[in-house]
Amino acid sequence: MAPAAPDFPVGLRVLVVDDDATTLKIIEQMSLRCRYRVTTCTEATVALNLLRERKGCFDVVLSDVHMPDMDGYKLLEHVGLEMDLPVIMMSADSTTSAVMKGIRHGACDYLIKPIREEELRNIWQHVVRKIWNENKEHDHSGSMEDSDRNKRGNDDAEYTSSVADVAEVVKPPKKRSSLKEEDIELESDDPTTSKKPRVVWSVELHQQFVSAVNQLGLDKAVPKRILELMNVPGLTRENVASHLQKFRLYLKRLSGVAQQQNGMLNAVPGTIESKLGATGRFDIQALAAAGHVPPETLAALHAELLGLPATNIMSPLDQTTLLQASIQGLKHSHAEHTVAYGQPLVKCASNIGKNFPPSILTVNGTSSGYGGWPSPNNTIGSVRPNNSVERVGIQNNNMLMDILEHQQRQLPHQKQQQQMQQHQQKQLQHLPRQSLINDQSCSINVQPSCLVVPSQSTDTFLAVNSPASVNQDCSFGRNAIIDYSLLPQKSNNSFCASQFPGGDTKARGVIYRYTTSSNCLTGSSNGNQLQNSTLTFGAARPLPSLLPMSGRQDPYGFKLGDSLDQACVKNLGFVGKGTCIPSRYMENEIESSVSEFSQMKVNVDSTGDTLKGEPNFINIPKVSHPIIERYPSRGHSSIFTE
Amino acid sequence: MGVEEGVYKAKTGLPLWMLGLGADLLWADMNRLLGFLFHQGVLDEQFLQLQQLQDDTSPNFVSEVVNIYFHESEKLLRNLRALLMEREFSDYKKMGSHLNQFMGSSSSIGAKRVRNVCVAFRAATEHNNRAGCLRALEMLEHEYCYLKNKLHELFQIEQQRALAAGVRYPAPVQN
Repeated sequence: MAPAAPDFPVGLRVLVVDDDATTLKIIEQMSLRCRYRVTTCTEATVALNLLRERKGCFDVVLSDVHMPDMDGYKLLEHVGLEMDLPVIMMSADSTTSAVMKGIRHGACDYLIKPIREEELRNIWQHVVRKIWNENKEHDHSGSMEDSDRNKRGNDDAEYTSSVADVAEVVKPPKKRSSLKEEDIELESDDPTTSKKPRVVWSVELHQQFVSAVNQLGLDKAVPKRILELMNVPGLTRENVASHLQKFRLYLKRLSGVAQQQNGMLNAVPGTIESKLGATGRFDIQALAAAGHVPPETLAALHAELLGLPATNIMSPLDQTTLLQASIQGLKHSHAEHTVAYGQPLVKCASNIGKNFPPSILTVNGTSSGYGGWPSPNNTIGSVRPNNSVERVGIQNNNMLMDILEHQQRQLPHQKQQQQMQQHQQKQLQHLPRQSLINDQSCSINVQPSCLVVPSQSTDTFLAVNSPASVNQDCSFGRNAIIDYSLLPQKSNNSFCASQFPGGDTKARGVIYRYTTSSNCLTGSSNGNQLQNSTLTFGAARPLPSLLPMSGRQDPYGFKLGDSLDQACVKNLGFVGKGTCIPSRYMENEIESSVSEFSQMKVNVDSTGDTLKGEPNFINIPKVSHPIIERYPSRGHSSIFTE
Repeated sequence: MGVEEGVYKAKTGLPLWMLGLGADLLWADMNRLLGFLFHQGVLDEQFLQLQQLQDDTSPNFVSEVVNIYFHESEKLLRNLRALLMEREFSDYKKMGSHLNQFMGSSSSIGAKRVRNVCVAFRAATEHNNRAGCLRALEMLEHEYCYLKNKLHELFQIEQQRALAAGVRYPAPVQN
């Protein structure tokens, strides 16, 4: 199943907006070289009108930041609100603040001039990502629909047209109707059409707004009170009212998404299972099923965060399946985070309020284990091991926490880690019963550990090993990716963290850092890896995620309510150094961690062998090992036969 | 090359310039000039990107773009000078946005030194440093003129080469 027509990016409809004719000319030529259908425009206002008049006629917008008639950021906001197209900013200004601003305003990428042809060649990924996201938002049944859509893409002579179709189909009607209001409102916002002072809802302002709403409670938030709380001179009640309206719509969309995700979870497992049989494939489907997406702006942000990593990930993977699925691969990253923030939260609320606190990871794992999710979900091998681990984490939270704190302080020391491992093993032993359910799936995940640790004994396990090892061999990076993506579909069983010796751990490490609180499980194995994560950490931009998202995540906050809060508190204790992240932000962090993760993955790929040799990685396998042993073996065989 | 010349000569009996050999010399001249400009940091590899974008569908692409660039830049330079000369109170913010554009276009065609001066200039505007701005403006004008002259030279050679080769602006081939 090829994800798209073989010449997919060809014909991509690009709108380029830049007041600089030179750049415009160059980009135009480059786009033609890429065989995009390119429209150029020197004025932002003209571009905006063009976009409004010809809705659905463009796939992606490339916009300069500094333009005399309208700030690129403003254009970005309008586009984001009105037509929800991926917008890529470009500027010669490479200062962090400028880039940050772009991200905050929802740019899905920020290119620094001079734009190179290679960069331009790659922008289609944002289009695909966006569509995936929207699709997820819209349909519940995940993978099936997606594959349908892909087929359509294949059949169509021009993929772009199918893209447009999808976009058409996908757009929820309610959005249409709300569009009109926004249109009017925005129009009046437009400096060219009106003289009245317009309110620019900058990120800061929006933040104030959101915090005011939070303070009042969404239900009780009325414009007047919000206005009082915000205490911003020049802001009128009308301004606040219209913004509140938009904000509510936005929340509604968000919550719709969350629910859909819930639905998706149930629907997906079966398909995934079948896919699992063919190991290569299963990532694709996972993608298909998983790719649910958050609010568009968030999505854009993610895209931005993930953009680089995603490409990086893909490049190392040469396997045919991956190649075919390249688009999907891109999507993977999406799926990852989606899972991270979307599903777990929802489930937590319903299933396991208490468990949640320890960590996001735990939450994921818990949901599957405790929630009594149907075993089919579990079938995915990779997920399993994690689950068990995670559970352990939950149970033993207190113990682990102490240990973890230790570890954090003395990461480098292996002794500590060993202690940790011992602890964990003990703890794990307590767990076995719970983990029984999981057993079936263990196979894939376990393998890494098996490879590393010769001592493991379980009969079934051995049988499992060989297949597992194969998987790993195939591609390190890819497996890791897959796992993440699987999560959402499966019912969020687990973070899947443990499977890949290198990759996962690192990922956890990152997460660990960010969230600090969460990963008890991770904690045990992570110690060493944290170093890695630290490095990446620097590269990643922690801030952006925090700032922009706050407003958006609220919906989740509402839903989750108490459980999340508790989580936060606990987390704080853990974290210590970390940014203590209120529950709201957790989602963001996860995302960021994900992106980092992918970056890290690259490292892993390149250095894979050496890394394995290191003690850190070894540790991990051990950790998972005990768990594995506990599991009944039957699961493996069933998986593979399927 | 020598061997090939001989071969062509032997085969055709035509004068060298008709065989495009004069073009070869001009081609070498061009490359020398380019190398010189690169060495001086006047241009960077983005200019090569530009050249690679030139193909049969747009045989004059580079010179078209550069002419647009000249046109825009001169406008910007005029504006900058006007802004800076405006009494005592210059609109530094506006200058900054002009400079941003200048930076963008310069970097897009690979005019490295002009771009660098723009960066310095912009820093001066950010600090409302009038003296610094004036100095930077002069440097900018100087750099710009230098670039313009050199690029004109380059295009002239290329034109001659194209004529000599009897081909209408072929894409420069990197051998």
